[in-house]
Amino acid sequence: MHSTGPVHEELYPMQNAKDSFYMALRTRLATINPERTTLLRGAVRPGILVEEAEAPFSQLPSDVFVLRWLGLGVDTDLGSTMAAGECEIFYQTCGTQSYGGLDRGRSLSGMDAELAAMLSPFYTPKLNFTATPPAAMLTQVFWDEPGFGPVTVQRDRLSRSAKVMVYSYQEQGE
Amino acid sequence: MATNWFSAPVPVARRVRGYFAPVDRAAQTPVLFDPAEQGGFSLDAPPAPWISLGWIQAFSRKPSSKTSPVLTGIPAGTLEQVRETIEAQVSFEFLSWTKLTMALATGSQHMNLLAPAPGAAAAANGAQASAAVALQSGSSATSILLAAVDAAKFSPGSIIALDADYTGQTGFVGTPVSGAYLRQALTDVDYTRRVTFNVALVSQVTSSGLTLAEPLLGGAPLPGTKLQAVTGFVDREGGSFYQEWSALFVMQGSQEERIFFHYPRLQTMAGAEEAAIPLDEKNQGGQARMMLKGRFLALPVTDPLDGERVLCYRSFLPAANALI
Repeated sequence: MHSTGPVHEELYPMQNAKDSFYMALRTRLATINPERTTLLRGAVRPGILVEEAEAPFSQLPSDVFVLRWLGLGVDTDLGSTMAAGECEIFYQTCGTQSYGGLDRGRSLSGMDAELAAMLSPFYTPKLNFTATPPAAMLTQVFWDEPGFGPVTVQRDRLSRSAKVMVYSYQEQGE
Repeated sequence: MATNWFSAPVPVARRVRGYFAPVDRAAQTPVLFDPAEQGGFSLDAPPAPWISLGWIQAFSRKPSSKTSPVLTGIPAGTLEQVRETIEAQVSFEFLSWTKLTMALATGSQHMNLLAPAPGAAAAANGAQASAAVALQSGSSATSILLAAVDAAKFSPGSIIALDADYTGQTGFVGTPVSGAYLRQALTDVDYTRRVTFNVALVSQVTSSGLTLAEPLLGGAPLPGTKLQAVTGFVDREGGSFYQEWSALFVMQGSQEERIFFHYPRLQTMAGAEEAAIPLDEKNQGGQARMMLKGRFLALPVTDPLDGERVLCYRSFLPAANALI
């Protein structure tokens, strides 16, 4: 099996890239701050999730990174079609109970630093997670520097989102 | 055993990394880079003697070689072309101010401001320096052994310069980096340490000597080496000396493919120049980053493969499994 050029009938132009991007950040977060975890569907996991892959939230969880996929672009003029997906990474915090929430600014700064660290280096191998174990593909998923948005204040809750453009070359079967 | 492959598009890279190595000016020997043997090196740990200068920006290559047609017939048509001159220029901006980036971005020699002797008369290149101290035997590139009384003269955070006393030699001065060229002998015993590239930050001081934050560019000090404190650096607009280095620029693509630009001989071709880049585009009058700008002229070497005179080698290491 091999790729012979642009593929024109893809159903999921970014899915493997989205999965690989999320899993790379999740693995890196577990190293950067092992204590940032969340209880989701009965399991304790690193504190990062993909919004579209979970049940709808009435309110997004605090102290967790939430990935939300927005825009999509495809360039078919290249030797391999390149897809670009815009990922918004949302996070919020009220600080800690032990400090009565007075450390919420410090907590948000900590999450800023964790996100910047998670995104570096700006590439990861692309894997197909529909296979068990995940199958290594031929190319790398890569992305740009994040663009951090301003802090939003809602009573005692501070939130921010950062946007990252994630790029991927399509391979045979994607 | 078989492998899959993909059709690789044009490389996508975020930035360029620069590495320099000193040319042996006296022997006119540049440092060569072999992409086949060395192309897979870690960008943070280049093979010796290459020195990483970190990421650079505004990297631009400008080929200026001139060709002329050989005409024949009536009316004349081009029979073939000949290359009349070979010339190429490289320019970029450094993202740091260090001894080496300053030296590369200046048109002439780059000097260390040696700590002055008490009461010394002022001088534009730094006053008469405090007396140098001698090293004890057994020093290395990162550990400088001194007598206790000499070690006490330094503190963590000091910058030091190490080299031999100047003894009246002419020609290129300094090893392994030639920091200056003297046409006539001088009387300043500290001159070699003024132009040496063997400078370092002191990270720790003990009664037996100094520990350096980074290894000395010249490696373990040679016998006869002496040490002086440095307060900063100075270069001059004018003069007759040209810095010459071997240079290697690396672009790493998104698929881990690599593009190398290897210039065996680069000489600075412009005086010291800075570019002010505002940190906030919306506030042009606010804080600005002072970038060191470097412009270089590539000089030719003769390729032993076929005797051709060339200025630059461009190499490409494709991504794994990419069609070529």
